Parts: sequence; C-alpha cells; structure tokens
Amino acid sequence: MIGVLKSELFKLRTTRATKIVVIFSVALPAIIFTLTSALAFQNGEVGDSLISMVGNFAPLTGLLLGVVGVLCSTQEYSQGTIRITLVATPNRLKVFVAKLLTTVVVSVTSSLLMLLFCLVPSQLILSSRDVDFVTISTDIRILFSVVILSAFLSVLGLSLGLVFKSSPGAISALLIWPTILEGMVFGLLSLAFKDSNIFRYAPIQGNGFRLIAAYFNADENTWLVSLTYFSAFVAVFTVLGAVLFSRRDA
Amino acid sequence: MIIVENLTKTYGSKKAVDDLSFTVTPGRITGFLGPNGSGKSTTMRCMLGLDKPDAGTTTFDGRKYADIESPLSHVGSLLDAGDAHKGRTARNHLRWIAMTNGISASRVDAVLQMVGMEDAARTKVGKFSLGMRQRLGLAVALLGDPKVVILDEPANGLDPEGIRWTREVMRHLADEGRSVLVSSHQLVELSLVADDLVVIGQGKLISSGPIAQFMTQHAKTWVRVVSPQFDALAELVIAQGGTVERTADGGDFHAISAITIGDIAAANNLVLHELSPQTGSLEQAFLDATDASVEYRGQPTTNVWEAPKP
Repeated sequence: MIGVLKSELFKLRTTRATKIVVIFSVALPAIIFTLTSALAFQNGEVGDSLISMVGNFAPLTGLLLGVVGVLCSTQEYSQGTIRITLVATPNRLKVFVAKLLTTVVVSVTSSLLMLLFCLVPSQLILSSRDVDFVTISTDIRILFSVVILSAFLSVLGLSLGLVFKSSPGAISALLIWPTILEGMVFGLLSLAFKDSNIFRYAPIQGNGFRLIAAYFNADENTWLVSLTYFSAFVAVFTVLGAVLFSRRDA
Repeated sequence: MIIVENLTKTYGSKKAVDDLSFTVTPGRITGFLGPNGSGKSTTMRCMLGLDKPDAGTTTFDGRKYADIESPLSHVGSLLDAGDAHKGRTARNHLRWIAMTNGISASRVDAVLQMVGMEDAARTKVGKFSLGMRQRLGLAVALLGDPKVVILDEPANGLDPEGIRWTREVMRHLADEGRSVLVSSHQLVELSLVADDLVVIGQGKLISSGPIAQFMTQHAKTWVRVVSPQFDALAELVIAQGGTVERTADGGDFHAISAITIGDIAAANNLVLHELSPQTGSLEQAFLDATDASVEYRGQPTTNVWEAPKP
C-alpha cells in the first residue's frame, strides 16, 4: 500500500497541470489577502477577526483543490495511464484508497500553507502599523473548517472525476453546481415550497461553505449539522465513484 | 505458463470474445493473430483484469492475475504505446510504475539502457515518436523482469532496426524460459519469430498450436513443374485427379504430390527441368483461415481512389 501511495503522490508531483493548480490554490488567496491587508488597514483597531477574514478564501482554495482531485483521476483516463495503474495494482480498492489519501494529504497541506501564507505576512504588515484585530472564540474552529472544507472538496473532485472520467465534465460539475446551479435550484425550491429557509439543505453553499462562518443564526444548521450534512453529500459521490471505478472496464 | 479457459466477453449484444481457450507455453513465443476487431486486444485486457470477462478464467502459472503479489515481477505487458502521460519524462513514467511494485530506481535506469533510451530518459513522452513510445512501452513490460510477457503490436511504428531488435528481445526472453504472447498484424515479422500461433476470428478460436501445424492446416501447397513436354504431363496428371494452372515457363499442379508427378513423368519418359513443392505464405494462410470472420473489409482497389467527377 505504501508503494501505491508513493506512486500516486509522485504522479501528482510530476504533472504540470496539478502543480499549477496547487500553487494557485495557495498563492492566489495569499497574494490577494496580503495586498488587501497592506492596502485596506492603516492603523487602529479593526472589529473583525483576521482568521475569520482569511476563512472567506476557503471556498476558492477548496474548489481549486477540488480541481486537483478531478485531475488526479481524469488524467489517468485521458492519458491512458489508468491501464498501467491497474495492471501494476490489480486491487482497485487499493488504488482508490491511495488516490483518496493522496488528494486529502495534498489538500490538507495546501490549505495549511494557504493559511500560513495569508496570516503570517498580513500579521507582520499589520503589526508594523499597529493595526489590531480582534480574536474571537471560533477562530480555531474556522482554521479547522478551512482545512476540512478543502479536504472534502478535493475528495468530491476526485469522486466526480471517477464518475465522469473526463476533466471538462467533472470540473464543470464541481464548479458550476456550487457557484451557479445550487443557488438557482434552491431558489426555485424556496418558491415552490414557500420556505425561505430551504437554503439550509443546499449541500455546498448552505452547509459546506457555511462551515467557515464565525457565527450561526438560530434558523440555520449548526456547525456540526452542516459538517454531517456536507460529509454525507460528499460520501454519496465518493461511494458512487468507488463503485464505478471498481466495476467499469479500464 | 498462461492458460486461458473459456474466456467470454460481451459488449451490449456483441460477443467480442467467445468461449476462447488457449495456452502459452514457457520458452516459446506465441503469436496472437486475428483480423481487426477480432477480439485480440479485448482478450489481452481480460487476461490482465482490465476488462471483466462474462465467463472464463486466465491463470499465470496457476494463479489469477489479481492474486499475484507484485504482478509486474511476474507478468510484463505492453498494451498501447500511447499509455503514458505526455508531460512526464520517460524516467519519471517508469519510476511511478516501479514504485507500485517496490522496484528500485536502479532497475528503471537499467531497462532504459536495455531499450536504448538512456539518452532520452529526461525527455518528455510528448516529444517522442511512435517508435520511441513503443520502446518505452517495452521498458514498462520488462521493468519487473517478468516470467510472462504480453505484447500487443510491439513492432508498430518501429523502424527496421527497431523491429529486428524487438524480435531479438522476444527470442531472448523465450530462450530464458519465459512465456511470450505477442499480437501483431505484421505477419511476415511474426512468421520469423513465433513458435506457436493462436488465431482468432470474431472472438472465436480458429487455430492454436505450432506454426508448422497451422501452415499444414491452412497454407496452400502446390507443385511447380517446368518441362519441355508440359502438355503431355498435364494430361496425365489431370487423369490422376490433379488440377493444372499454366504459368509463363511451366505450370503449377494442385491436389497432387510432387512424388506422384515425378513417378508419372518417369513412367512416361517425360523430361522435367523443375519439380518443386511450394507452400503459400503465412499471410495467405492467415487470410484463408480468417476469411469467414473478417468484420471490416476494404473495397477492391479498382477505381476506389478516383475522385468523384464534378
């Protein structure tokens, strides 16, 4: 199993597309946040938590890491290497688990780096200007949620890749559903059922992205409910991806 | 040894492989022949567990492929030379494969040298010609120093030197006692290297056994005769049940042996300048054997290339 894991990690490391997306998922939020910190806050106290503000970049990082998950599976099909992968390791469950763990390791590491590269330079800049940010009790939970959200979205990307077997289809589904379709679908459901609070059932925007929220209103799902709901949503696609991967001809 | 038993694979309503059984013996090269779409590649994929057969089994020295620990050290395969990420270097392509089976990096360098690609080790696969990719594919197959080698069209895209080299590699592997199964459309090439043949058509077995046996069963045989008294000889041969086909300097006799013709000529004081038994090529034997199962047939060449008149 260790050999298969090392091999999957090596495959990701030696593919330009995945390297570029990983770098973007870390660098893009870091650059934007550092520039924002440098330009927006001059001095005095800011009534917001720095960590909470960084947390707002989690969906961007998470979706980009989701694309890494997609590439981890679809590139094997588009380049034909899936046949060699399965000839070298006929146990498909082992290959699936190795891919799953690899994407989780990459996404967790990348999201931690994103947090580091966002927080450290900003903190240094703002400290030199005597800008003080408040700390809130949910800061640790937000940091944890950023990492969890990235890991889950990368697993979702991997699973969608195994379902679709093609990068355009899987990446479209990964990006269009949470950013456009989910809002439209639940907007329609809200009208149909005359329930303004139906958005709490939206798996990604209503629960996944809500994990990084600093506060939860009484009519919203709690953090734990959101986490459970979102993990169940990702689990459905993960099981579907695993079943299709193990049953389909290569 | 590879034993394929009653292998069957259906796609929708089409049977790609139909109750196919054959054996690949150690120390021999077995050629795997069949027209386009006859199920050769599907059979190879089923053997390696890439496609799931509806019925039948394949065993490698008594074990199913999925049950083999470190399969690359037991079975090496080249299914498609294009199965490599175009952005990865040759060495990195081999390294990720080696890692899965605990094969050392030094073995990667050794097989690159073996296939003559040490200078291209750090070149990206996307820059390779088809011939270079075939060599890389062979390197993958040889990576684990396997006892069984399965090659699908290994000479495809290779230059004459590459083809000869592939032939030598296969012979060397077989001489070391390994089982070699090789599919090829290059029949002349295969006739130079194969010891045994497995011929299939529309997924079904047509023939299996030593190449000489296949030629005996399927190749046309006739006797070439050159004689100043050809017409007289022809008359006597026809009376014995033979048939005659005239050529410029003599003729070909069918359905009769050279010995019988010689006896007839001697008994009738007829002079013979040539009396030689002839055997058709492997290509002709293959075409005759698979004629009924050809799925995709080209048009006769007359006028096919003429552009439509305006």
